[in-house]
Amino acid sequence: MTQSSDDTWTVTIVVPEESALDEAGETHKVEISEDETILAAARSAGVWLTADCQQGWCITCAARLVDGDVVHPNARRYDTEDREAGYILTCTAKPRADSTVVVEQYDEFLEYRAANNKPPGSSKLSD
Amino acid sequence: MANEKEHGSGSVEPGDTSKRVGAEVIRERGVDPEELREKLIDAIGAEFTTYYYYTNLRMHLAGEEDYKEITEDARLEDRAHFELVVPRVYELEGSLPNDIRDFADRASCPDAEVPTPMDGSGEFDTSELEVEDILEVLLEAERCAIRTWSEICDMTRGADPRTYDMAQRILNEEMDHEAWFIELLSKERDGEINPAGHFARGEPGDAPYTKNNPFNDSA
Repeated sequence: MTQSSDDTWTVTIVVPEESALDEAGETHKVEISEDETILAAARSAGVWLTADCQQGWCITCAARLVDGDVVHPNARRYDTEDREAGYILTCTAKPRADSTVVVEQYDEFLEYRAANNKPPGSSKLSD
Repeated sequence: MANEKEHGSGSVEPGDTSKRVGAEVIRERGVDPEELREKLIDAIGAEFTTYYYYTNLRMHLAGEEDYKEITEDARLEDRAHFELVVPRVYELEGSLPNDIRDFADRASCPDAEVPTPMDGSGEFDTSELEVEDILEVLLEAERCAIRTWSEICDMTRGADPRTYDMAQRILNEEMDHEAWFIELLSKERDGEINPAGHFARGEPGDAPYTKNNPFNDSA
């Protein structure tokens, strides 16, 4: 752990090769305070990540938490099962430890939620 | 005919009605029209649900007639946004979900519910409902819409001028709405003067950007 005195954490952001973002294939380390979201901090650091509602609802910003810990105090549609499945929403996720996240996981998270009969996956991917 | 010439066709064969050049020209410019269409359905799902939820929020601004008027403008303009973009979904070979529950579930913004629990008889428990709480719900709904339509502007800029034009018109009005609710919430909650800097709409729900080309008059 490298928690500093002002509760700032190092979050490693992995952008998959297959992503459509300019940063595809890159890995960035961003210092994020405990009051900041991963999305906001990344964008401030010049790492553009996909997002839409920024209220933890639409799941556009879904990512996978590889290691570390985050909390989602303000997410509108995110539950314990999502967390246990390893998904996070960068728009509302705030670090509580040095963490590594693989971003741009919307399609995967949509399928996961559809398989578990949860919106928006259940409404967008059903026949 | 002596002067017979082939039509220019691009990727669509002359006379082929199974494809739309209106969609293929977008694909040629790097935007997936199917992905865009699905995003538009999500976005107008949010406009439609907001229109519904704002009806309820407006009802509960009892006695706050000025707040009601502003909320009514936003409510009607959100419906106008839904109606502006529905034809575009069909142009891009999509359709509205048959089940309204699916439409609401895929809306790209959270439900803007009255911020109070229900009581035991199925009615709203209004005993502790505060005007400022309603205004905050309205404000955050507008902020979500701003983010959504900004994303669609980003997605279509330089590739799909028709959708971009719609999205930027809607964005103009959503930014008006945010300014209105910042002004009202600042005054109601914090006692602060924080002017929106806007004049009143001419008619309720005037939608000066999204209804100034009223092609829905024929509907």
